[in-house]
Amino acid sequence: MTDYLYDGTFEGLLTCVYHHYYTDKASGIYPKESYQPSLLNGYMEVETEQDKSDRVYEAIAYKISDYSLRLIYRAYLSGIDGKENVILRYILLGFRIGPSIGSMHSLPEVKALEDIVRKVGNERERMLQFVRFEVMEGPIAGGPQILYAKIEPEHDVIALVAHHFSERFKHDPVIIHDIGRAKAIVAFEGDWYVTDFDGTHLPDGSGFIMSEDELSYQNLWRTYFDHIAIKERINPRCQKNHMPVRYWKHLTEVNGI
Amino acid sequence: MQKLQILADSAKYDVSCSSSGASRAAGGRMGSTHTSGICHSWGADGRCISLLKVLLTNKCVYNCEYCVNRRTNDVPRESFEPDELARLTVEFYRRNYIEGLFLSSAVEVSPDYTAERILQCLELLRYKYGFMGYIHAKVIPGVSQELLHRIGLVADRLSVNVEMPSRESLAAFAPQKKVEQIFAPMKQITNTLIETRSLKGPGTMFKGQRLNDASNYLGPAGLADGAAEDSVTSALSLAKGARRKGSFAAAGQTTQMIIGAGNESDASILATSENLYRTFKMKRVYYSAYIPVVDSPILPDKSTAPPLRREHRIYQADWLLRFYGFTVSELFKSGGENLDPDLDPKVTWALRNLDEFPIEVNTASYEQLMRIPGIGHLSAKRIMRQRRFAAVRFDDLKKMGVVIKRAKYFVLCCGRYYGDRSFAPETIKNSLLQMESGLQLSMFDNDWKRIEEGERREKLAAAGVI
Repeated sequence: MTDYLYDGTFEGLLTCVYHHYYTDKASGIYPKESYQPSLLNGYMEVETEQDKSDRVYEAIAYKISDYSLRLIYRAYLSGIDGKENVILRYILLGFRIGPSIGSMHSLPEVKALEDIVRKVGNERERMLQFVRFEVMEGPIAGGPQILYAKIEPEHDVIALVAHHFSERFKHDPVIIHDIGRAKAIVAFEGDWYVTDFDGTHLPDGSGFIMSEDELSYQNLWRTYFDHIAIKERINPRCQKNHMPVRYWKHLTEVNGI
Repeated sequence: MQKLQILADSAKYDVSCSSSGASRAAGGRMGSTHTSGICHSWGADGRCISLLKVLLTNKCVYNCEYCVNRRTNDVPRESFEPDELARLTVEFYRRNYIEGLFLSSAVEVSPDYTAERILQCLELLRYKYGFMGYIHAKVIPGVSQELLHRIGLVADRLSVNVEMPSRESLAAFAPQKKVEQIFAPMKQITNTLIETRSLKGPGTMFKGQRLNDASNYLGPAGLADGAAEDSVTSALSLAKGARRKGSFAAAGQTTQMIIGAGNESDASILATSENLYRTFKMKRVYYSAYIPVVDSPILPDKSTAPPLRREHRIYQADWLLRFYGFTVSELFKSGGENLDPDLDPKVTWALRNLDEFPIEVNTASYEQLMRIPGIGHLSAKRIMRQRRFAAVRFDDLKKMGVVIKRAKYFVLCCGRYYGDRSFAPETIKNSLLQMESGLQLSMFDNDWKRIEEGERREKLAAAGVI
């Protein structure tokens, strides 16, 4: 039994699964940087190998199902500690019982994974709701303006919302910046990609220049927000249930409060 | 900015804000819609903000008793220019503040004049700005058929307010609005939806039925009699090219009514809704607890609390109608004109019909499962799915999302009952009430207190209502 340490990539994780079958049974999979060696198991740093990861990837798709593969990928995107072991146990079970694992909601291995997937899915939804763009002047005077948003999601959902925003604002360049993970999606004309992004490689290091009327629209939005509430029905608890305070930092309508 | 304040304040008592029911990938210059709708924010009152909900103007010739914008009420009056509002919508939309526009209006000059301005604004939005986001347009009773049709062609959802749950209340509180004037546009919308083959109906009420054929066509009597009358079709022939599937108000029509202003019972309110669902196949009926905003001799006293819990129970019952296969007569079959404020309507119904329970989850049909308190459509589907592979045990129910604390009194799992020792309505009701009392109190923890007139005015002034 060995603890496998991987580099944090999805391919790395799948390579570990490969080693579970062909090298030594895994007692657990952990990210390299946060691993605490234990007395019980030896550990091995796994080098990510594309062909091994591809084999596992395809095996999951064929022997389990595309549906399960998607669940596994979404679970991998979560920021929850120990997700790797949940994924490992799910894959091992999936190879044993095949596609029907998708309907076995009450098996502990399946439920553990589905719980994580649900959290990731919920946060994706929250991002569709709570991303707030600021309209920035583009680099070329008179050129297109840039829609720029800062987010700090708990799970790495940025790639899951890219399609939505790149389609919706097809003709505006869109940058959604995940501050915590220092990455961003950049989208324009229906195409998008994920890139490392910390804002420092922008010309003046400080970010973008707001368009002229940006602040006035922000104020209009705050005004609207304050006035649409019915005072007789004030219910902060209900509000916070739907709009958890951890997102407020980047919400235009409430971050001034 | 003041304009937005005033016109948002005037619009906030409109209930619906949903952006659901239409799915459209991006086209035009910007925008798309999602079947499920997306809420973007929640106001301090806990109501979601999905659409920019404003009035085009609050200058009104009507004098409905309950309305902030009634002619004799002394509030500041404002209007948007159509282009101004279209631009504002687009700018908000770009920043992902909103999903689209909910445009309503007070009746300025005449219904047609107002509708024309609404149409102008919406057409600018769609054609000049290439906006493909969600548009919900309020239809003003009395509008001409042609204008209504053209508004429908640019809007995703239309709604005509029935305002009051009964003819009597409408006559008393909104004397200038006539029932016939309200039903005429509703009928036209339903018929056009049939013509564009996009009538979907409320929830799962008409699941598996073909709604889009002539037999559902509404004749002059308001009943589906299959006879397409000339008067109805004449308006539709105006835009022949526009009969493409889904081209007209793809997200259907809704309506809203105020509860607690007149003295209707819950049973008659829900009967009205059921009628609206069955006749017009509308997507939803919204309810709003009456909030006294203006002094009126015939309306509840100004210090009356808005009946929030009643509204909540009516919404729950409404869901039972649309998604759970219940009928109003069933809900009120034995006893009472009103819903029990302390228990949800499904539990109330189950307790009154205890002879149908307990239900064995491993053999019950989907429809039966849906009638068990604590089981919704998701958990019912999960139960059906797992049953194909393995028996559903009691422990599995919780994992499937069943609300055990309610369901346990009404189910059998593999032949075993997991509730309390005695299977009698009173015992079950008591245990349920004990359990829920904690939850119920906290749900409305800012319970409305009867407040003094002075304090009330102060609050309203702070809110900018007066």
